[in-house]
Formats: sequence, structure tokens, C-alpha cells
Amino acid sequence: MIKKTLRQIGALIRKDLGLQFRSKETLVLIFVFSVLVVLIFAFAFGPIFPEKVERGKLTASVLWTAFVFAGIITLNRSFAVERSHGALHGIRLTGVDASNLYLSKVISNVVFLFLLEIVITPIALQFLDLLDVVTMGILLKLLGVLSIGTLGFCAVGVLLAGMSTSTNGGESLLSVILLPLVIPIIMGGAKCTVSLLVTGGLNERFWLNLLIGCSLVFLASAYLLADAVIEE
Amino acid sequence: MEGWKPRNLPTFQSCNLPNGKMEGWKDFRFSSRYGISHTMRLRASQLTKDFGHRSIVKNATLSVNAGEVVAIFGPNGAGKTTFIKILATLLKPTSGKLEIEGTDAIAGYSDVRSMLGVVIHETLAYPTFSPYENLKFFGNMYGVKQLEQRCMTLLTEVGLQRFAHEPLHIFSRGMTQRFMIARALLHHPSVLLLDEPFSGLDAPAKQFVLERIAQEKQNGKGIVITTHNTELGYLVGTRFFFMINGGLEEVAQKEEITAEALLLMYEKKMQSSLSV
Repeated sequence: MIKKTLRQIGALIRKDLGLQFRSKETLVLIFVFSVLVVLIFAFAFGPIFPEKVERGKLTASVLWTAFVFAGIITLNRSFAVERSHGALHGIRLTGVDASNLYLSKVISNVVFLFLLEIVITPIALQFLDLLDVVTMGILLKLLGVLSIGTLGFCAVGVLLAGMSTSTNGGESLLSVILLPLVIPIIMGGAKCTVSLLVTGGLNERFWLNLLIGCSLVFLASAYLLADAVIEE
Repeated sequence: MEGWKPRNLPTFQSCNLPNGKMEGWKDFRFSSRYGISHTMRLRASQLTKDFGHRSIVKNATLSVNAGEVVAIFGPNGAGKTTFIKILATLLKPTSGKLEIEGTDAIAGYSDVRSMLGVVIHETLAYPTFSPYENLKFFGNMYGVKQLEQRCMTLLTEVGLQRFAHEPLHIFSRGMTQRFMIARALLHHPSVLLLDEPFSGLDAPAKQFVLERIAQEKQNGKGIVITTHNTELGYLVGTRFFFMINGGLEEVAQKEEITAEALLLMYEKKMQSSLSV
């Protein structure tokens, strides 16, 4: 049973990543979008913040803005491809458990967005004049915080995208229903990012705990709800 | 005790299986032991599907045995696709019962889905993947043994071996239909649900679908097809139903009716439904 589950989840993740990298539509779209966000913020605010604290706060805002909106685009695309030719019906007909289908979608979206974060984070640090003060250790911690935030974001996002893409105007609906729910994750993630960029450490444990706690609670609740959402 | 044989269990030699193969033997043995007709592949009773205040399928009752092709004729909008989707467990009925291979398919949908091969209007696949990649992915999900060999065998059988590695989105309607049949047969399902399998096909492609359905019937599958083409439906079907305005009505078995009489009855039924 476990072997079957792992085989199915593995096949679904490989298929999702294969589809994303083959068409490259979403890849190019979210990369260009994220770079544009970084450039706009950098040119609008960059030179007027000589203080490291101010630049740290700005960089955190830029990174989270770029990743949240890139995440919404990815989630929408990820379900649109399943629905366009009835492929989701095809997957359901294989008898796969809806919770496993949900889990595989979360993992593939987290992996995809994490790859974007690995590329965009150094670009943002460079444009906002922080790359020379950020060590490799801080960068790795920063990517860790971003990956936990991405997990929480995708945990809720996949569930809501599964519902919203089957409705008219689903793409805009997802932003409206998803953003209020992920506020605790964005707050926790942004505060941890500021702390890392300004002090080099995670001094305020509350925000880290909030980020990790919310991500895990969202993942567990959405996993339990997945069957009802996907089957209905 | 030497030489003793249980009297109630038939020997394999005594089984008159349609294909002369072991397939179907298990069903025969089971039905003999328990004294029930276990060759019944699918049983739907009083299925109703409402969307809002409108009933799309009304109290539809149907049973399909092994080696039987049930052809359902009906005009556009009669509820045929909705009915097939309910049988495929892709839609939940508002009321009624559905059993597939003796299992409650409404409560236990995940247990019965792998017994179904489904062809509907959508490809149920990924257009940017090739037929081979699609079959390999879905075969992996089903847990098909010797998967690569099975994929290539099926693609050869449906005449797509030359296009095995071309993306699906460049395929014509006929080629797509061939792929969909390969996809439906991939995991050796015992029930085939084919929604308008002849629509948009040219003569050779129609001939291919007809032959394939006949072959799967011989293999002991229970098959349901929906079509508005009585001529083709008569050729392949063994039992005929009309579906008009969501109501399902049994018409006749093949031996009881000619193709001309079936067409006449269908046209008459259509006219009377329009005048209501």
C-alpha cells in the first residue's frame, strides 16, 4: 500500500515538473514577472536608503511580493493544465487517493517555486545592494525561511486552486480567496527575512514559530480536506 | 478420497468461454460456487442526476453482463454523456445505486475506478505529452506490469506506433480517438464506457472502433456505448436502449429487432419526444 502510494506520488510529481519544464510558459512568465518586480522596486527606492536596516526591509518586501504573486500564477497554471483536456478526470479514474494527488501537487509546486527563489533571491540582493553583506550562511537560512513559507503558501493555494479553476473567472478568484488566508505566513516570512537581512540571525522566534506552525497546520488541514474538494 | 472431485465446481474444460482463454474463468467459478450471476459487470438502478431544478438523468436502470455491448441511442442533450460520467464515477448521482463488479461504486468509487476503461469527449490526457508518455504515466498510476512493452503493444494495435513520440496536440480527431481507446484499454479494465466513440471519425477509423469493440466483447468485457448513430450502434450492440430527455428505456435485444426497425423506432421516438 505504501509502495503504491509512493509510486503514484512519484509519478505525479515527475509528470507535473515534466509538464512545467517542457512548456516553459509558466517558467518564463514567473521569472520575467519576478525580475520586473525586483527592478521596479530597486529603481524606485534603491538609492534613497543608505541604511542597511531600510534596505533589508525593502528587500524582504520585494522578495515576498514577487514570490506570492509568482506563486498565484504557478498555482493557477498548474490546475489549468489538468482541467483543459480532462486530464484530472483521467487521474481520478486511476483510483489514486485525492489526498495523494493533493500532496503531489503541493510538492511539485514547492519545488518549482523554490527553484525560482534560488535564482531571484541573489538578483534582488544584488539590485538592492545587499549581496556584499549577506554571507553564504545567511543566504542558506534565507532560502530555508522562503521554502517554509512556500510550503505553507502552496498547502492552502493548491487546495483553493483546485476549487477555483473549475469556476468562471477562477484565476482572479484565487487571489481574492488565497491572500487573506496566507497573511500569517506572509507576515511571519517577511519578518524572518528582515531579521536575517538586518541582523544576520533569526532573533524573533515568534515570527519563525508562526511561519512554521501555520505552514504545518495549513498542510495538515488541507490534506484532510483534499478528498472532498477534488471529488466534489 | 483419491479421484474425488467437488461435484458442484465445474472443470475448466466444461466452461464454454467465448474466447477460449482463462479470462472469465474466475467469474464462472465464483458464480458457480455462490449460486449468483457474477458475470454482471455493472448494475445501475434508479440513477437520477439533477442540476438545480432540472433532471438530466431520470431514474435510469441498466445492467451489463460480461461479453455484452449495451448501446444507448439518444439525440444531443438527452443526458447520455452525464449518464456515462455517472457510470464512470466522475459525477455523483443525486439518487440511485450503482454497482460495478458487485462493489458499491458510489461509496467505494476509488475501489472500482481501476476496473473502468473510459472514452469521453475529452482526451483525459496531457496534450504536450506524446501518446507513449501519456500511456506510461497513466500505466504507472494504475500499476501496469511490463509497462513499456504494454504501451508499445497497445500503440501498435491501434495503429499509432509511428506517432508514439509525437505530442498529442498535433493529432487529428481520428488519431486522438485511437489513442483514447488505447488509454482506456491500458490497464485491462473489465468494463468499457464509450461516449460517442464514432463521432467525427472517417470510415476506416469507424471500422477500427467497431472491430475493437467486437474484440473486447469477445474478451468478456461489459461495454456501454452511447451514440446517435443507430446503424453503427446496431452493428456493435447486443442490447439497445433509448435515452430521451434523461429517461432510459430498454428497446430490444439484437436478435429481436432488425437495424431498419430500430431506426424506425428511434425516429418515431424522437418525433414523439419533440411533440411533447
